[in-house]
Amino acid sequence: MSKASQQITEAIIDRVESVLVGKQHAVRLALACLYAGGHLLIEDLPGMGKTTLAQALAAAIGLSYTRVQFTSDLLPADIIGVSVYDRNKAAFEFHPGPLFNQLVLADEINRTTPKTQSALLEAMAEGQVSVEGETRQLPQPFYVIATQNPLSQSGTFPLPESQLDRFLMRLRLGYPDPEAERQLLSGADPRSKLASMSRGVTPLQLATLQEEVSQVKVSASLVDYLQRLLQFTRNSGDVDYGISPRGGMAVLKSARAWALMAGRDYVIPEDIQAVFAPVCAHRLPVSGGEHRAENFIQQTLNSVDII
Amino acid sequence: MRPLWQIPRDGLFWLLISVLISIALHFDHLPPWVALAGIVAALWQIQLYRERWRQPGRLLKWSLAGACGAGLLLHYGRMTGLEPMVALLFSGYILKLLEIHHRRDALVLLYLSYLIIILQSLFSTTIGASLLVLMALLPVTAALVAMHGSTDNSRPATALRTALSMTLQAMPLMLVMFIVMPRIGSLWAVPQQNSATTGVSDSMSPGDMTQLGRSGAVAFRVEFDGPIPAQHKLYWRGLVFSSFDGRRWEQQASKAYQDGQFLQWPNQPLAAWDKMIVRRGQALSYRVTLEATHSPWLFALSTPVSRSSSVALSRDFRLVNNEPVVSKLQYPVTSWLEHQLEPSSLPDWRHNIELALPAGYNPKTRAIAKQWREETPDIAALIDRLLGLFNREFIYTLRPPALGKHTVDEFLWGTKKGFCEFYASSFVFFMRAAGVPARVVVGYQGGERHPSENYLLVHQYDAHAWAEVWIEGQGWLRVDPTAAVAPQRIEISFADLFAEREGFLSASPFSLEHLRDIDWLNKLRLKLDAMDYAWSKWVLGYENIQNDFLLGLLGGITPQRIALLLLFAGGIALLPVFIMLYLSREKSTRDQLDRLFLQYCTRLEDIGLARKPGEGPRDFAERIYQRAPSLTVPVDTLTQLYESARYSEIKVGDVQRFKVALKAFKPSRKALLSSSC
Repeated sequence: MSKASQQITEAIIDRVESVLVGKQHAVRLALACLYAGGHLLIEDLPGMGKTTLAQALAAAIGLSYTRVQFTSDLLPADIIGVSVYDRNKAAFEFHPGPLFNQLVLADEINRTTPKTQSALLEAMAEGQVSVEGETRQLPQPFYVIATQNPLSQSGTFPLPESQLDRFLMRLRLGYPDPEAERQLLSGADPRSKLASMSRGVTPLQLATLQEEVSQVKVSASLVDYLQRLLQFTRNSGDVDYGISPRGGMAVLKSARAWALMAGRDYVIPEDIQAVFAPVCAHRLPVSGGEHRAENFIQQTLNSVDII
Repeated sequence: MRPLWQIPRDGLFWLLISVLISIALHFDHLPPWVALAGIVAALWQIQLYRERWRQPGRLLKWSLAGACGAGLLLHYGRMTGLEPMVALLFSGYILKLLEIHHRRDALVLLYLSYLIIILQSLFSTTIGASLLVLMALLPVTAALVAMHGSTDNSRPATALRTALSMTLQAMPLMLVMFIVMPRIGSLWAVPQQNSATTGVSDSMSPGDMTQLGRSGAVAFRVEFDGPIPAQHKLYWRGLVFSSFDGRRWEQQASKAYQDGQFLQWPNQPLAAWDKMIVRRGQALSYRVTLEATHSPWLFALSTPVSRSSSVALSRDFRLVNNEPVVSKLQYPVTSWLEHQLEPSSLPDWRHNIELALPAGYNPKTRAIAKQWREETPDIAALIDRLLGLFNREFIYTLRPPALGKHTVDEFLWGTKKGFCEFYASSFVFFMRAAGVPARVVVGYQGGERHPSENYLLVHQYDAHAWAEVWIEGQGWLRVDPTAAVAPQRIEISFADLFAEREGFLSASPFSLEHLRDIDWLNKLRLKLDAMDYAWSKWVLGYENIQNDFLLGLLGGITPQRIALLLLFAGGIALLPVFIMLYLSREKSTRDQLDRLFLQYCTRLEDIGLARKPGEGPRDFAERIYQRAPSLTVPVDTLTQLYESARYSEIKVGDVQRFKVALKAFKPSRKALLSSSC
């Protein structure tokens, strides 16, 4: 079972990597996030491949995909959908918006108003939307990959902490390494491959994988280790308050997915360490720059022993 | 200016409590303005903490320091002596409170608090005072704990609890140290405390003893080996006054004695004058526990000998300590109540000393004395005649009228009312004027028998002055003119005579002595005194019995045996602490597997491959593969075993297998790649 999951994972990663060159770690984390059933926030500068990653993931997994460009005049109805009067049927008919897709790329989420943001975030949390008094289920699986630009903050509405918490992970792609960049520059636009990409996993397999994630074993000593990590973030004077229990559960869920991707049916401390920074960094209220949050997380991992 | 270092809240709390307690403990002997300055400084510190006020400037601090120095000099008029020194230390301590910039400043203050609180025991060593000092140390320890605490918002009670448990843990060790540690004599002389002492002083002028009569404090306690002698035999000799300047009686300068050294120490050959002491009859053994007098003279029944090596016998046949008695002192004495002192004829220089009178004083007494001597040549009859006069016409009172220049004339032929020193002084003056060698002796008379504990309690109000007259062939004879005026003073206790009268104990308004008539309160008073006596005998006076105690325990005192005993007893004393620590230790979650894994880490650490904190077994193994490829197989095996057992599920035999694999795993430095960094 676990061998099969490993093969599927490799197949998906190969496909995504053919489009997004030299970003294996980020791709793995993004995939782990999807396995764990969580939403992903990608924070980076324009032109770093945020959209490419989302598109490639959608194609490689075979999900229905839309992209919504968030602007300041975007309204909730624009993403959820509206009811339009049909004269032939003499009734209102619901026209689903872009949210009714399995993978939604919410581009520049911080550019829209809080009203629209919260409509999206409600959908993310509940897996359903309420339109005109009627609750409509969103397709399963339902993933949101949101991006935001950390620079040029003028005219933006930064997500509050409570809404940042809805995202399982926050990733940064960063510049490609020189070899990958040379490859990217010398060949044709990798995005052209997107159209012809076959999916690497069937919907049934994906559902099985997600089921398997929840069955990955977590031993008592690992739980103990994770708890000590969380405790450390709370007792340290460097941050105002530490990781919440929900954050701890998010770490564990991601670590399970990470272990499954490595072909294991149990979590080891290295799994936790691999996902700890992407899961926790955006949940830490650290003033004075993002680097401090990441330094603090590194310090936590270096200080708390696994035994 | 913000402080460079923010003092922890609970630390500040206990620090200020310590300061206030120090002030309270020393309130008696500090100038009131120093205590007031302490409270102001504490308030200032609070306002500093609340960021309401600012740090005092340099100019203000310097002027405060100057003002303190000048103020102390003005208050005491001198800088030597115990009290001015303590007050100086205290003002420095208070000024330091105004400049806490670093943790070290706070620590200095705390160490000073310890010193200042302990200094209190120079002034009083009763049970109550000692317990108070012990309790006063607790907040200081709590402050010390709080200063080393990590967070600055913990509650003061937490620090106090830690301090309490630390103090309790230290108790057994304290007891062992008390019992075993050899006592070292004082390394420095404690400066003499000059004011506020009670007890007889080294000179006597009219009115001195009256002051003592108003004090109910204990002077000393005596424990006799046999029964306590009758009240009228208990004349505790302390000082002998042979020199009179018209108003004041003083000791004769020791260099005036021309026959050998003035003091005779127990370990030295007998002085020439020792043969002038004739001891007869039954020897009487007893131990005296003297309260601090800040003077070297001791009290004993005539004629005494002490075995204690620090106690000397003086030329005027009294006991003298080798240094001022600044804390309770216990000394053994043997006295011969039947004795003769200097019975053979006195040389001329002795006659000159014991007959000297200042010119120009008391002409009337001189004339009458000469006349009486001519009428009554027999000395014994002369004494009787004078005592008879006292008995008929004089009144014994604690409130004598004031006297002018010719004290003896005015008293003998004028006021005729007085206290013991009036009678002793005028008696000796009269005798000298009549040509009979005489001198004044000062000490205590009588004492209160403790009903259940078989010791004698001598109070300050038992202070007494009497006379000694020299008669050829009999030596010095004790004559107590007070006995002629008020025989009850000698036969019954002083307190019974003066109870409820004439300002007796007016200087001790809170003394339980006032309530002697209430039976159960009187019993309580005596019970308390018995406790205090046991305290001074067994705790303060432990020094005196320590040698015998250790000798019995060790069979011989050598440094090695002392060290062994100290180690052994210290170990026993600390055993409960160890047991407590063992029982309350955090139940280790490390099972055998984790312990074995740590062994594996240690072995790799020994060859320079230490696992970093927080490094997982697999990451660690990866690093080892890089540094020492030859270890790949065993490390991989061990890592797999540990990982699957620890994080998947532990199966029977997993631990055993890890153990076996670990046994074979003996990495050496040779395995390391030399090129690696």
